[in-house]
Amino acid sequence: MSASVIKIENLVKYFDGRCVLDGVSLEVPQGCIYGLLGRNGAGKTTIIRILLGLDFPTRGRTSLLGADSSLLSAGVRGRIGCVAEGHNLIQNYRVSRLVRLCKDLSLRWNDVFFGHLIETFRLPMNRKVKELSMGMRAQLNLSLAMAIDPELLILDDPTLGLDTVSRRTFLELAVDLLQKDGRTILFCSHILSDVERIADRIGILAAGKLVVDCPLEDLKKRIRKLRIIFPKSAPTNLHLTEIINQRAEGRELTITVANWNRQKQALLETFKPESCTEMPMSLEDIFIECTKPAVTAVEQMYQEA
Amino acid sequence: MFTLIKREIEDHIGYFLGATIFAIATIFVAIAFYAADSDRHVWPAGAAIILFVATAFVTVLGSCAMGVSQMYADRTKRISAFLSALPVTRRQIFAARIITGILAILLFLVPLAVTAEIFFRRFVPPHLMRGPVVAEIFAAVFLMGFACYCLGLQTGWSSGKLAPTLGSLGLTCLLASLIIVKGFGLPFMVIILILIFASVICSWHQFTSTSL
Repeated sequence: MSASVIKIENLVKYFDGRCVLDGVSLEVPQGCIYGLLGRNGAGKTTIIRILLGLDFPTRGRTSLLGADSSLLSAGVRGRIGCVAEGHNLIQNYRVSRLVRLCKDLSLRWNDVFFGHLIETFRLPMNRKVKELSMGMRAQLNLSLAMAIDPELLILDDPTLGLDTVSRRTFLELAVDLLQKDGRTILFCSHILSDVERIADRIGILAAGKLVVDCPLEDLKKRIRKLRIIFPKSAPTNLHLTEIINQRAEGRELTITVANWNRQKQALLETFKPESCTEMPMSLEDIFIECTKPAVTAVEQMYQEA
Repeated sequence: MFTLIKREIEDHIGYFLGATIFAIATIFVAIAFYAADSDRHVWPAGAAIILFVATAFVTVLGSCAMGVSQMYADRTKRISAFLSALPVTRRQIFAARIITGILAILLFLVPLAVTAEIFFRRFVPPHLMRGPVVAEIFAAVFLMGFACYCLGLQTGWSSGKLAPTLGSLGLTCLLASLIIVKGFGLPFMVIILILIFASVICSWHQFTSTSL
């Protein structure tokens, strides 16, 4: 891993006075598969659209392969493969015509690989794009993006509409692509098991901010979910920092905390818990904990009412 | 760029076919007028005026309609958004569109200009020919058509909003009446070139600064 292929600096975007992105900064190094996660409306697609120069930031700067996003030349664009959300293809074209157009406009085109993809996905070349199912459109879009042998692949919910077999094929293709030197993938998906399978770095967007940006393994190590039983009722405040979520029910307290260490452990032991068990967390669990509204805050509001 | 122009032509082939058919039909009508009056060896001036007005009318309307349909189709089908994911810049997409518009107008006007030149040489006495009259007339019609095409591009990109649509319609009428007021001379061409310049810059700005 070396130079940054994707660079976002203090990105702010407002839509009709509503802040969608609030000072997002991130860098994706070369050769990385970056999984960008967030709930619906978190701003993932907006980031991708701004990166590709399809939309403009309110403030901040973004660059792809060292070039400013708003000024991407045809040469730089030719090194980027892209699968947009909703598989934005020209609907009234026949598949063969769309393929010919992409081939004619591309700087590089791997006919053998594209043929292999078309055969794998069994895509009908003589049908109109609008006559294809959602899954077939996704497959076509992926094939077109992969055929140019991109240095950077940007995928916005690429497996949306794909069946299990096609999803698995796609993931294998993505891994195949990355095995070629220095290829980078920015990958947004709601299917977290897919992200977990291939991503080596994770970013989580919540309320317009990038709340997590670290390698997947680090994330799993850093975030712990603990089930603590106290002799009497659970304390409302443990005075621990970096608590992501906590939920008290009688003697039981469940907390999700970042950067668990000995100091925090010692602080917890001053409350003399009966037991403290660590609960295993998948990426999906971590994502839910990081993006759901804080339970404590909701509970406090409820008690005050 | 050639691929983009080819795509635009294929997508708007109807306008190119329409231009060819109208041009051929107009030439046939002109020949028919001549054949009907061939004994006098004078081409009827009334017929020439009717054909000219028809040509100017078709050029203005056709160009405007083509501009609108190119931009409207792009906006509704998100064609530029798709093309922008390929090694293509918005500048190239816009340039290809403009070139396609020019080609369609020329496809219609050039055969008519050649035919008109032949008829002029055949029937108008040399002492009445002051300079390249036909070239001047057709250059003016071409500029008028191109100006309307540019207005069409603007309207198509911002369609759904009443003000720009009405504005374009008003400007198109103004352009048509400008010929009657100013004739085909240099002042007309200067005015129309300024309008074209402003319109192209405006369309370009709209196209490059809008989210796709």
